[in-house]
Amino acid sequence: MKFTHAATVAAPRDKVWARLMDIPAAARCVPGVASVRPSGTDKYQGTLAVQVGPVRLVLDGDLVVTARDPSSGTASIRADAKDSRVGGAIRAAMDLALSEKEGQTELRIATDLAVMGRLGEFGQAVIKRKADQLMQDFAECLARQVIAR
Amino acid sequence: MTFDYHEPRSLAEALDLLGRHGDDAHLLAGGTATVILMRQGLLRPGHVVALRAVAELGGVSRTADGGLRIGAMATHRQVERSADALAYSPALVDAFASVATVRIRNQATVGGNLAHADPAQDPPPMLAALGATVTVRSPRGERTLPVDGLAVDHFTTSLAHDEVITEVLLPPIEPGTREAYLKFLPRTADDYATVSVAATMRLADDGTIAHARIVLGAVGPTPIRARRVEDAIRGQPTRRIGDAIAMIADDVDPVDDLRGSAVYKREMARVWTGRALAQLTR
Amino acid sequence: MSSHRLRFTLNGQPREVAVAADRLLIDLIRDDCGATGTKLGCAVGVCGACSVLVDGELLSACLLPAVFVDGRSITTVEGLASDGLTPLQDAFIREGGFQCGICTPGQLIAATALLTEKPRPGPDEIRAWMMGNLCRCTGYYGIERAIARAARPT
Repeated sequence: MKFTHAATVAAPRDKVWARLMDIPAAARCVPGVASVRPSGTDKYQGTLAVQVGPVRLVLDGDLVVTARDPSSGTASIRADAKDSRVGGAIRAAMDLALSEKEGQTELRIATDLAVMGRLGEFGQAVIKRKADQLMQDFAECLARQVIAR
Repeated sequence: MTFDYHEPRSLAEALDLLGRHGDDAHLLAGGTATVILMRQGLLRPGHVVALRAVAELGGVSRTADGGLRIGAMATHRQVERSADALAYSPALVDAFASVATVRIRNQATVGGNLAHADPAQDPPPMLAALGATVTVRSPRGERTLPVDGLAVDHFTTSLAHDEVITEVLLPPIEPGTREAYLKFLPRTADDYATVSVAATMRLADDGTIAHARIVLGAVGPTPIRARRVEDAIRGQPTRRIGDAIAMIADDVDPVDDLRGSAVYKREMARVWTGRALAQLTR
Repeated sequence: MSSHRLRFTLNGQPREVAVAADRLLIDLIRDDCGATGTKLGCAVGVCGACSVLVDGELLSACLLPAVFVDGRSITTVEGLASDGLTPLQDAFIREGGFQCGICTPGQLIAATALLTEKPRPGPDEIRAWMMGNLCRCTGYYGIERAIARAARPT
């Protein structure tokens, strides 16, 4: 499934970039993220707890920054996570792009999400809705963090 | 699946079990949704609390004020075949009769349906259009809420974990009110709707619209109340309905899925709302 | 996991079986009781192959917890006829109501429930009731004709 999300942060691009590239701090802006730890160069390990109605998932996985270019404000991140109890996994390839306009920064995230195994039985509509909510919350939180500093 | 199965004989006992096991307990009503979720491994409670032996949760009957009470453990089929429900509102019976197959209707309960909160279900929009309220019990006591305060998102209700739906109460229907439930089913007859419309309407003596309630199913994360259309037609002569229908596009929020694209559903919401209102003003 | 001792009748025969809490009726019937006439199709209550009667009520055995049948009477396809064939079963043969036979037990159970509730259903009523029992072979007309035939006064 592919989707894009966009958010505007009332701060200059370099400030947003710096915050975004502090992966453990930025990851805390995703609701349900716990314990993001570095596990190598540009590699992180973490857990995401997601709930849809009565169904609770705990996705354990890795996050890798596969590309970054501060001058153009773009980065690519790949995440692989699985819920071994439920028997399903997700794989997400995210392309981030920051663009500045009149002192404000627009953050665009294009995501290609594959849902495998049992999790796929959920249905695209529900997964997409959840992804929308998570991304929205992430972007708003990031904006607040950047402005607060 | 690995769990302990409990069959309390009273609501107090059921609430006690929920209190004791907290998050690790899950209620079981008819089982049509819960059994599938558990078999798929998506739901993994340590304790299943079945409500089938709690007698006070059953029944379908008229209330003293001319309304209707539906017990949370009443099955869809019991509502479908209830003479009291038919006398109260044939459209309500239509909505329950529209659900899936006879087998599912024999097993699935009204309370379970509301607690499951699938946005494409048939009963909730009709219950909302009729102004239904839901009674909920917990160790903290009892509260009632309008049925459209229950579903807050896909498969998510506003209920606390230790709250149990005990009944649905429908108010007496004002004389002169007409009701309709329309289900657009382009695929198979046992499916969920692509779009459904539940509507009630009453005209004043001068022929203008005194009351209108329009609730759509399957076009949002919860049943959608068509407030813009309602506001636009209230107090208006019925010939104004056509102008107002287009506003439905702003109220609905459908998604692409197997039952249709978001664009198609948005258009069908308009078409079928128009048909429902035409039926009510014929 | 809790274990439960169930007492029920299956096609008129009293049975007593101990089951784990997560046992489903389809497995109780087929594996614990050996009555394999009832088939498992989709496992999500849609196809109707697992149709059974519990206290005369038409239900999907794949969706019912086994614990739900304690104290109740179950009827499966094996229990429809006590001697020979019922008029419905005979009608299925005469009207070509089956080919491979996998959906047939469910069709018969569902049709039996229909004719019990409504002895003389019209064609629309037959269709509305039976639409939950899928068939990949017959195209349904033979099934409808069989039910209509069984419903005709003799």
